[in-house]
Amino acid sequence: MAKDCSTLSTWARSEPMQESFEVAASWYDGKSALRHEGSASWDGLDRLSLAAPTSHIAVPLSDLEFGEARSETIIYRRASEPDFRLTLPAAMPPGLSRHLPEKQVYGGWIDRVGLGRAAVGFGLVSIAAVALFMTAPDWLGPRVPESWERNLGQAMIGDFGGRLCSTPDGDAALAKLLDEVDPAQTQVNARVANIDMVNAVALPGAQVLLFDGIIQQAESPEELAGVLAHEVGHVRERHVMTALLRQFGMSVLLAGANTGVGDTVFGLAAMGYTRDAEREADRYARARLAESNISPLGAAGFFERMAEEYGDDGESNAVVGWLASHPAAGERARDFRNAAREGADYPPVLSDAEFDALKTMCADDPDVEEFDFF
Amino acid sequence: MHGKYDGEGEQSAFVFEGTWREFAPIAFTNLLLTIVTLGIYRFWATARERRYLWSKSRFVDEQLEWAGTGKELFFGFLIVLLLFAMPVVLINFVAQALIARGQEILGALLGIAPLLIIFYLTGVARFRGLRYRLSRTRWRGIRGGSDEPGFRYGLSYMWKSIVAWIPLGLLIPWSMTSLWNERWNKMSFGPYQFQSDAEAGSVFARFFVFYLAPFIMFGGAVAMAGMGMLAGYGIGGEDGMALGGAFGVIGMILFFYLGLGLIAVAFYAKFYREVVGATRWKDLNFSFEASTMDWVKLLIGDALLVVFTLGIGLIFLSYRHWKFFITHLEANGEILLDELTQSTTRTARHGEGLLDAFDMGAI
Ligand SMILES: [Zn+2]
Repeated sequence: MAKDCSTLSTWARSEPMQESFEVAASWYDGKSALRHEGSASWDGLDRLSLAAPTSHIAVPLSDLEFGEARSETIIYRRASEPDFRLTLPAAMPPGLSRHLPEKQVYGGWIDRVGLGRAAVGFGLVSIAAVALFMTAPDWLGPRVPESWERNLGQAMIGDFGGRLCSTPDGDAALAKLLDEVDPAQTQVNARVANIDMVNAVALPGAQVLLFDGIIQQAESPEELAGVLAHEVGHVRERHVMTALLRQFGMSVLLAGANTGVGDTVFGLAAMGYTRDAEREADRYARARLAESNISPLGAAGFFERMAEEYGDDGESNAVVGWLASHPAAGERARDFRNAAREGADYPPVLSDAEFDALKTMCADDPDVEEFDFF
Repeated sequence: MHGKYDGEGEQSAFVFEGTWREFAPIAFTNLLLTIVTLGIYRFWATARERRYLWSKSRFVDEQLEWAGTGKELFFGFLIVLLLFAMPVVLINFVAQALIARGQEILGALLGIAPLLIIFYLTGVARFRGLRYRLSRTRWRGIRGGSDEPGFRYGLSYMWKSIVAWIPLGLLIPWSMTSLWNERWNKMSFGPYQFQSDAEAGSVFARFFVFYLAPFIMFGGAVAMAGMGMLAGYGIGGEDGMALGGAFGVIGMILFFYLGLGLIAVAFYAKFYREVVGATRWKDLNFSFEASTMDWVKLLIGDALLVVFTLGIGLIFLSYRHWKFFITHLEANGEILLDELTQSTTRTARHGEGLLDAFDMGAI
């Protein structure tokens, strides 16, 4: 190889004219459609002279760019004149073809490293990119500063369009319930929303909403304690930003596909957590219930009713957003039931009056807005 | 006859000389690279594919050349994403937030805005797609293009499409032909403008058949189902009647889809014959000779190819469609090569007008 090179360069220096030659060529000047047919002769150095009855030009080899390869010809362009086209035979003497711009097949990089290696390289990079994209919400979510999250939550929900229910007794009952399941110094902001859906959501900025629908169907305050504890769990385990980032990633992926106005609130409500996150929130809920000596049987009862109503696999029912992305209701019911201490006598978490105040909170609030589907 | 082409008596001015065997290595390596790059390579794949297809398409005595690059398509895509897709996502986000805060009307209005933008940009994109293709097509070193950016065409596209639907869609042939004319009259190749004066009248008859077909067919189908039931009753009493009715209904559904599809194809075949036939370039008249039968064969071929290769045949569709287009395209008239000078339309050279690469839809 090295020897080959040195011989070549010797000849190039000593006898340049010997290696010059002439080949048939045709070209278009890029200014008119006339074809110039003649010959291209190489002076052995850096210049190609094109001669035809209709045109004579000299083209520096460095000005030539590869255009495309056809079956028996190669088309070159000129950097200085983009519409100029020179057609030369594909079979060229090696001396000249060495000086001509290299052939391109797949495009820049790929030609340089070869198709096989490029494909493997791209494949690895792609797999890494997908892995990064898929896991980004998990490690990025918990690192979002809480102040950002709070601002984002405020921007997204505000006062929920005046749909938050509030009565003095109801607020007191909710605060009592929250004290039992959220022992942190700065508690989450838990509210009741005037929406007739069996659902509850944790939103950015440590905000938890219980929908009026889930309160109306509750048979005991323990049930609501379980649900509230579960949502507080999402906030404390920092699932919310992770889910939001995941949803944002999805919407970037599906950019534009999801343009319906109808999703709106449901888009927020159905913000999906992974099953792992749900189990984590459930575990958090059971730990708080146990700490505060609240019966987990209420929550178990709730899930049993849901399993009965919508089938064991909550997944199949998208109407009940809260259940849709959650683990099978039957399994969750068992977990809560098993958490109950054998023969324990749990005191009621709220008095009947307090539970009642929660139930009538939305009906009694004079200035709460109705929720309607437009 | 130096420097002059006289189309009279010639076989066909447009000839396609490619083979699928030559195309296959291009298609398969494109598929491989597109997969391993998560689709990013598809811009370069498109350029490679077109470079081959164009180079195998001969007009008179010289092959066409595709001068577009994958890089410019990619940048065009990025710009579209930045200028258009991101704002739409953002607007949606704001609209959702507004609705959550109780500003339903404002939110809904804001939610509609992206739809309007998409509608408008679809028209602009059709114009730009055509302009892009012409500006990247070389024949004897000469290219085409347009000096119009297509923003006005986007407005025409909106109002003509809306007007076409107002009388229950009856003006669709008018909007289609008039938009074709508007598009092509703004295009040029070399020094000469294209001219198009297609008329809706000649395609209206077929459109009307397409329009009325569902009603006629529904009547026919009810009759068929009835006959099926009667025949079934004759053979096997009550059960036979149900079975016969079921067969009748299945026949009706098949008839409905196939029949309606066929009439739609017939309309499109006629439409392309009309509009291409009404398009001229200097002293050259174009025509498109594909009959309804040709279209049907193309589509059935497509379907069979895709089904029997379990979808891999999809990568050959662009080849089939281009071949179909070039094979059936004809031109008559004459060109004076001496007068055919380079186009003076602007092209994207230093990244300006990269939106050209907003490439979508053929002619
Ligand atoms: Zn949850």
